[in-house]
Amino acid sequence: MRRYRVAIVAPAAIIGEGIATILRRGGEADVVLIERSLGDILPRLRGADVDMLIVDTALLRTTELGEEYSDIVVVALQTSLYDAEVARRMTHAITLYTAEEDILRTLSQAIDAPSEASAHESHELSDRERDVLILVAKGFTNKEIASELSISPHTVISHRKNIVHKTGIRSVAGLTVYAVLNKLIDSEQL
Amino acid sequence: MNNIYSNATHSVIEPKLKLFELIDTHPSVVSIVSRLNITLPFGDISLEDMCRRDGYDVGLFITLCNMHIDPSYRPDMTALRPNAIEDVIGYLRASHRYYAQYMIPHVARHLDEILAECDALSQRVLRSFYDDYTHYVMTHFEYEERNIFAAIERAQSSARCDLSTLERPHGDIDDRTNDMASLVIKSLPERVSTPLRCAMLKDIYALRDDLRTHTNIEMYLLRPLVERLVKTAKQ
Repeated sequence: MRRYRVAIVAPAAIIGEGIATILRRGGEADVVLIERSLGDILPRLRGADVDMLIVDTALLRTTELGEEYSDIVVVALQTSLYDAEVARRMTHAITLYTAEEDILRTLSQAIDAPSEASAHESHELSDRERDVLILVAKGFTNKEIASELSISPHTVISHRKNIVHKTGIRSVAGLTVYAVLNKLIDSEQL
Repeated sequence: MNNIYSNATHSVIEPKLKLFELIDTHPSVVSIVSRLNITLPFGDISLEDMCRRDGYDVGLFITLCNMHIDPSYRPDMTALRPNAIEDVIGYLRASHRYYAQYMIPHVARHLDEILAECDALSQRVLRSFYDDYTHYVMTHFEYEERNIFAAIERAQSSARCDLSTLERPHGDIDDRTNDMASLVIKSLPERVSTPLRCAMLKDIYALRDDLRTHTNIEMYLLRPLVERLVKTAKQ
């Protein structure tokens, strides 16, 4: 399995550093960010190419983790009672009393599990994903697509991951055929 | 079926087993027989008698069968003759011919029928996608035959071989084969009939799985044999 990149949000340094130490010992994950608040970490998630966010549930409100982070696995760190609405975003949980090997196993399962959303969501491309696909089919690079659509290159990468997931097609050549067969582009645009 | 039984990981095939019994249990073995030019009809000949008659190592034949039947099967190197490298390369070359002359053209015939149902632009991009795919796969085979296999054959006399040449990845071929299947499942025009789509899919997945076994044979059979050769030479 490939190594995954983790960001940790915990109110106390001793907790954040403690989890990081356990993960480093486990050898499968790289801890790339540790912060005391979600606000400090959100703007840096994309730049750090984070796969998993471990967050103290006491610090998380529903609205903070928007759609744009839907590809990041979120694991709850339970240090206190928390809001049921918030809990829906969590697929897995660890507590202060979880044994070390159980922490490592829980995180491994979380990174490998297909997300709830992806298991049930429609395989229809969103309008934005369609825009990105058309530009991919026309041979644009990620950087060119970002500037054409006025979005960040990280958002382009996130859209491309979703396109691959929904269409089941990885190669640019295959995506071009997909775009033509689904009438997203015509011969003049090729 | 006295000689085929299963343990937790894979079925065990014994040399005394009749070829027809093996095929009766595992029909996919027919494609190995076809690649090795084993003559038909084979009556009730046993695997060891057949191999003796046609000059194959029965241990290697059984290993190849196991690798085709169970993708997680890993060969027992101690059961193979020292000169198995030559035979393994012979089998890999025969597999290349089997893909080029049989499996790939088979998919192409279904594609021709599908193209007849498509508009001109779809025909053009699908045809070019498949031609690129074929070209990519054939170039990969040629590369292996000219560079890797030839280098290993030379190494058998000089006992020197750069093992890194065996590392050429096959991931791209697997991705492209899967892309083709996804297009057939999700994107062909509605008027392409379901039986035709299914026939095409069956052939694409058969090709994909066989190519995966081919990669396994290179990585888990050929590579350890070459490593053994180099190690013995050093000693």
